[in-house]
Amino acid sequence: MKYRLLAATIVIAASPLLAEVDLTPPESASEAEGLEAWARIYEVASHPRCSNCHTGESDHPMWSGPSYGQARPHGMNIRAGESRMGVEYIPCQACHTTMSEDWENANAMPHTAPRVPMFWQLAPVEADWFGRSSIEICEQLRDPELNGGRDTMALAEHLDHDLILHWAWNPGGNREPAPYSLQEHVDDILIWGVAGMPCPES
Amino acid sequence: MRLTVNGTEHEVDVEPDMPLLWVLRDELNITGPKYGCGIAQCGACTVHVDGFAVRSCQLAIGDLQGDVTTIEGLGTPDNLHAVQEAWIEQQVAQCGYCQSGQIMQAADLLAANPTPSDEDIDAVMGGNLCRCGTYPRIRAAVHAAATKLQGA
Ligand code: FES
Ligand code: FES
Repeated sequence: MKYRLLAATIVIAASPLLAEVDLTPPESASEAEGLEAWARIYEVASHPRCSNCHTGESDHPMWSGPSYGQARPHGMNIRAGESRMGVEYIPCQACHTTMSEDWENANAMPHTAPRVPMFWQLAPVEADWFGRSSIEICEQLRDPELNGGRDTMALAEHLDHDLILHWAWNPGGNREPAPYSLQEHVDDILIWGVAGMPCPES
Repeated sequence: MRLTVNGTEHEVDVEPDMPLLWVLRDELNITGPKYGCGIAQCGACTVHVDGFAVRSCQLAIGDLQGDVTTIEGLGTPDNLHAVQEAWIEQQVAQCGYCQSGQIMQAADLLAANPTPSDEDIDAVMGGNLCRCGTYPRIRAAVHAAATKLQGA
């Protein structure tokens, strides 16, 4: 299928919203500490604010979590396509409009779909988290073949740069935020990395 | 705040978080785009921004980047867009309320995908609701418009 490039309209707004995240790894971390950090990372990864858009092979985003009742695919028959941005069908940004202003109330308005100063999109197919176990997600996240070739620092930096991820802790409306905070989550990623990225056995 | 709609530049004095739909309908009196739900669930408010279909109830005027086209600017009675022509030939409209949104979404669909399958049509048009249930005619008209555009 042919589709037009969105490049012409790509505007990454000046980023007043880029949170200040401290990316200093701990000097050392034991395997036990690494596993504790992982348990918290899994709470975040499996939380609806994250997993709803980590749908693996499926290009249907999910609606699940306390504010959605029963888990179900995103309404309006929305499909993200191979582009993961809906370019082949309806771009996510047709409704998740791209912010170019730094709105205090961006996601507090009751009528709006969530929005950030970037293109809304699904995570890559490999980052398949929705309904997956702690071990499955852990194995994926530590495998450079499946995590976009990232080491721990790169994972932490990715969390710093990707503004959709920041939204997960500040989703507005009656949506439940992801647990902990962005900084605590980054800290856990760094602890887990320094500990050698241990995964639970069962 | 300045914006260009259907080739004409306008200046409006509104709060930047006002949705584009309000600006079009209440400030500029461009009433083709309809208010159906206001919450991104019906598609009645669909317009183009730089050629891409957008739900104008969702786009804050302060975030608008690009030129707006509404149904009023897609074609004229003397020079209809292929989608509008097909819509008339297939007599798609029932009450008509949803149809400006349907047509704007269909025009975007065909610009992106000149030969859509039924599945493609359902995936793209699934966000545009029609209380009158004109869906079979919408699908037929999209295919008819695709043929027209191919021949053009
Ligand atoms: S009025 Fe915008 S989607 Fe319903
Ligand atoms: S024609 Fe009546 S709502 Fe679609």
